[in-house]
Amino acid sequence: MAHSLTPTPAPAALARHMIRMRLALMRNSLRGDNATNLYAGVAFGLLLAVGTIAVAVLWPAYLPLTLAVWLSGWVFGPIFIGGGSEALRPEYFTMLPAPPGRIAAALLAGAFAGPVPAVNLVALLSLPVYGWRFGPAGVLIGLVAAVTTLVTMVMISRVIVALIGLFVRSRATATAVGVVTGTAIALCSNGWAPVAALGGTDTSAWFEVLFRVLPSGWGVAAIEGPWPLALAILAAGAGVIALLLAVWSSLLSRRVASAARGGVPARRGAPRPFPRTGGARVTAAKELRAWWRDLVRIQLLAVAFSFAIVMPVLLLAIGVWGMVPFAGLIAIVMAAAASANLYGSDGTALWLTLMTPGAERSDVRGRQLAWLLVVGPAAALLTLAGTLVSGQDWAWPWVLGLFPALLGGGAGLVVLLAVTSLVPGTDPHKRGGNPLSTGADETAETSLAWLVLIAVPSVALPTAGAILLDPWAGVATGLLTGVLSVWGLGAIACRRLEKRGIELLNLMKYGPAPEADKPTTADLPLVHRIGVTVCYTLAWLPLFPQGLVPMVMKIFGAGDPVWFLALHLPPVWQWPTIIFMIALGMLMYGYAILVPMRLSSSSTVEGGGTGRA
Amino acid sequence: MPTHQEPALRTTGLRKTFGHHVAVDDIDLVVPAGSFYGLVGPNGAGKTTTLAMAVGLLRPDAGRAEIFGVDVWRDTVQAKQLIGVLPDGNAMPERLTGREVLTYLGLLRGLDPDVVAERTDELLQVLELDSAERTLVIEYSTGMRKKIGLAIALLHAPRLLVLDEPFEAVDPVSAATIKAILRRFAGNGGSVIISSHVMALVEQVCDHVGVISDGRVVAAGPLAEVRGAGTLEDAFVDLVGAHTAGSEGLAWLTP
Repeated sequence: MAHSLTPTPAPAALARHMIRMRLALMRNSLRGDNATNLYAGVAFGLLLAVGTIAVAVLWPAYLPLTLAVWLSGWVFGPIFIGGGSEALRPEYFTMLPAPPGRIAAALLAGAFAGPVPAVNLVALLSLPVYGWRFGPAGVLIGLVAAVTTLVTMVMISRVIVALIGLFVRSRATATAVGVVTGTAIALCSNGWAPVAALGGTDTSAWFEVLFRVLPSGWGVAAIEGPWPLALAILAAGAGVIALLLAVWSSLLSRRVASAARGGVPARRGAPRPFPRTGGARVTAAKELRAWWRDLVRIQLLAVAFSFAIVMPVLLLAIGVWGMVPFAGLIAIVMAAAASANLYGSDGTALWLTLMTPGAERSDVRGRQLAWLLVVGPAAALLTLAGTLVSGQDWAWPWVLGLFPALLGGGAGLVVLLAVTSLVPGTDPHKRGGNPLSTGADETAETSLAWLVLIAVPSVALPTAGAILLDPWAGVATGLLTGVLSVWGLGAIACRRLEKRGIELLNLMKYGPAPEADKPTTADLPLVHRIGVTVCYTLAWLPLFPQGLVPMVMKIFGAGDPVWFLALHLPPVWQWPTIIFMIALGMLMYGYAILVPMRLSSSSTVEGGGTGRA
Repeated sequence: MPTHQEPALRTTGLRKTFGHHVAVDDIDLVVPAGSFYGLVGPNGAGKTTTLAMAVGLLRPDAGRAEIFGVDVWRDTVQAKQLIGVLPDGNAMPERLTGREVLTYLGLLRGLDPDVVAERTDELLQVLELDSAERTLVIEYSTGMRKKIGLAIALLHAPRLLVLDEPFEAVDPVSAATIKAILRRFAGNGGSVIISSHVMALVEQVCDHVGVISDGRVVAAGPLAEVRGAGTLEDAFVDLVGAHTAGSEGLAWLTP
């Protein structure tokens, strides 16, 4: 042949280039809020990593459990944030003349070139520290195990992302991912109940075995075992890594070859004709089709409803039925949080609403109507069934009053926040191979969800007060609150969309406009940045398990004090402690949400764009 | 009151800055009513930004845009009734089929359901989208997206069509169909503005052209005046002052 073919890149060179590319991508994205989130996240992660080492020194018996928590982060992290953010998308490298296995190995090397694996490695240094108790050999085995455990954890995470990307192609699989996620979140908040029922602090033998059988515990098992066993465990670990790599590379090559786009479930037959109507009702018809045909929305609804069902059911393990009537109400609040970025997830399709004379009002009202139709009946059913089955008759005035208040509050706040705090994502038709990712900034979307989780219940506070005074007045107040919220908050959203719709559209088209003289979160002092992250991550602790749960338990006089601080104190101090914990949690959330919002709200929606002609 | 004496589009001192980059720098354009107007310019010249500001999809930093004498930024609702727009690369209601999108938007505009059904049928048939009856817009190819976008722009029978790169990624047969539709629309007294960088196409269909470079109008008027004796392509290269690269370097590119 007259000319030489492009040579196949050598494995090491390929990996080196991937690492460089990943680092370059990270450097280029380190601007403004991204940098803030990264620094704060790394600071917080390092804190946890040092904490893990401290566990190895002070409470070695709990090291396997602590490492299992890190593993669960790798397993559930990518599911929570919609399939995981992939800086180096496999699609970029399809045309490289190299076998898939080699590309997979290089991509894996790229996956390690980030702050999260580095922080995790610091945490895994707890293994050699633990090994110190067993002499120099323990340290050596610990060091090797730290590396293999890290690779295994990262690989497991990648395989899960690849599985989601490849197999979430139908409503059933999207629902399944949602149910797993919802159950996992429920276990995080109420998982202590079955544990307490099974024997509480008495960490029985099967727990010790369980946490050593998980991949995160192999290092501990190797350190504790005799030499031959240790070597066998390490070799098995290496084998598992090779196996995961093979699975991953085959999944990757299937993914880049499957052209499915944007998570569209398969359909049979022609769709039902649109209703012959106009205005808000025709928008509602469009939205209902979107709820049924968009896998992201289906998955989020599944998260909301599965969490709402599993969380109260977990408490049955310790004989508490008090939460069951409220499952439907929890579902409403969770579904509102899941729908908080309605306009952001539709992307620049907003231009059609803006170009149709007077369509802004129909759009907002139609979205409200569709949301009520999607969430309302299911939540009502759940509420009725929960209250009847649990036999908690005292709960009737509460559920009857709070149901309309929360449902109306949700339908009002969902559209209001969607236009005031929009988080731009990638337009649906431009998204990558991951059907559950909207391309939006996960941190910003999560804060929006938290904002809804706090705002919707506060809408129902007057109703709760009225129920305490008189049950029937409570029901009337609930109805009134609900109707007023749907109408009033929706009206504000309509006006906002009419006045600022163009700015929202261009925020999604060109991204937020960085303006030199306007402050961004990056300008927060480092102390505040870390403070915000710590508050976000820990505020649930005083608010829910140490505040609201013991409050409920104290009201109904049920259950053991387990790990609820307030219930261990003398009776005089119990109520003050509970109130202090609730106040502390709310203060932490308030601080974490309001401080960055005051800065960013003035800088995001104002400007036009970043530079395209 | 809009009259036929008013130009279809008049922009006065339109200006837009992104950060430190001036994308559109005091653009004055007059598109006569009933004309088929081609807006041409190199990549990044400001065509898309100008059109977005002219139709009310991007707020200008300064300047005015009027459609048949109606101020786009003051009488927004009235202006929107007069125009049909095809922007470049925007999303649509992606989870609807082509028929559903047209039905939805027609009903949202308050058109009679029977009229909507009839127009939807015809548009889908003429643009050859009726074979994809069960396909959601998100699954459309780039060319199909252009065609459904054009159908959306035509649906309410506007007086002015503003189309950003309508022929990009469209196959030759569909392009011929679109050209025929637009010519008929212009022949019946409608006004059309298209942006493009395919000079031959602009020469073929347009009777007026405006040349934009670096956010400024460098030439505008009837096609014959702007291109002079040569072709539009020669005139364009002269006007934007670029030299055609590509004959130097790349010595290794030998198959």
